[in-house]
Amino acid sequence: MSTVNARAFSAAQDFLLGAKKFWTTQMYPQLQEQERAQASGAKVPVQERVQSNDLYPFYAWMERHLQRMKYAGRYGLVPWHDTQRPALEVALAPIDVPTVPHFAVPAYYPSFDVHQHPGGLMGDSLAGFVYERGARSTTPLDKHFDLHHRFTRQVGALTTPRRILDVGCGFGKSTRPFAQQFAQAEVTATDLSMPCLKLARHLDAQENITHVRYLQADACATGLNAGGYDLVTSTMLLHELPASHLADLFVQAHHLLEPGGWTVHLDFLPQVQPGADGFSHFIHAGHAVRNNEPFMQTLAAFDVRGHLQSLGFTDISITPFAENDQALDPHYPYWRFPWAVVQARKAL
Amino acid sequence: MDRLMGVTMALATEVYVLRDRLRALEALLAQQGAVDLQSLNQEVAPDALALHQSDRDAFVAHVLSPLLGKASSLGVQP
Repeated sequence: MSTVNARAFSAAQDFLLGAKKFWTTQMYPQLQEQERAQASGAKVPVQERVQSNDLYPFYAWMERHLQRMKYAGRYGLVPWHDTQRPALEVALAPIDVPTVPHFAVPAYYPSFDVHQHPGGLMGDSLAGFVYERGARSTTPLDKHFDLHHRFTRQVGALTTPRRILDVGCGFGKSTRPFAQQFAQAEVTATDLSMPCLKLARHLDAQENITHVRYLQADACATGLNAGGYDLVTSTMLLHELPASHLADLFVQAHHLLEPGGWTVHLDFLPQVQPGADGFSHFIHAGHAVRNNEPFMQTLAAFDVRGHLQSLGFTDISITPFAENDQALDPHYPYWRFPWAVVQARKAL
Repeated sequence: MDRLMGVTMALATEVYVLRDRLRALEALLAQQGAVDLQSLNQEVAPDALALHQSDRDAFVAHVLSPLLGKASSLGVQP
């Protein structure tokens, strides 16, 4: 039996969060500052310059291993939640989430431990709880959940949807803001992970949200009715998909939308960020490797606009997204995800 | 590397000795009714953690700042 008590667990996680904050606000800015000082007139490629910087091995180690320690090891999220298993499983036991007909888990999905989460998001009945707890400290400077409301408000400035589909909804952190802002809308949310879907329902009940229909379904082949939605959205899903699935997702969105409906996605696109350069691309590519995100670079290289155009979407825009009021200042000094919004409309 | 591992293991040993002593002290205090171990072992609420955030950040900076390789004083210029 573990000798780690709740106080020790929370103290260790808090220390790791403090270390991540140091990495975000001290290590990254110094690495960037030193790179900028070296870059002017340099003939050596950016990756070679950065890799030869004395700070870089520590920067990379911290990024990789703070995440490892957050999830695994003595004070990790996975072993801690395992000690709470009986109570957590009881909480989810009465919850039933339907699975769409002909559902199949894509082969890529369980083939790696995304975000360094041992077992991934469907390897254990408690995976949703682990993911939810981990998401609370994804970014040490911002309340990570605030950005979902920012995104929802941005969508609200574009359209007032009546039938919303949120694909890749996880434990519902993107879905609840839609359900709250568009309280009159029918909201359907899908994910591959049943543990996450059950937790989504559980958390909805705690917030008195009763009108979201959760379904276990593949976002790229939902089996839902054609033309049944006027908004198909996702948050942090695109970068989790192999190229063929990414292409299929937009095909699926077009299929599910009624004419004039919008598809809007919040994700990571380094190339549209203010001040994007070789350094920011190198840092983003390194993050993908160190955080077990094998398809993050797939998205970065994917011709999203061209694919949307080929499907007949109109009003296409791909713009950077500000997760806080200062984030899009080209001189913003701290590490951040390259948040971007992809939006397009199905032709009338 | 051997020498750094030696330093790390020596410090880890000392941390473990301190853990043992703290555990023994807590047990003695609990026996005498001076502390409630159940309360002590509860998870700290986020707002209570926030009260100590500046101390946490200062501790982290103290431990990790050497990684930045910044000098704290001007050296002799060659």
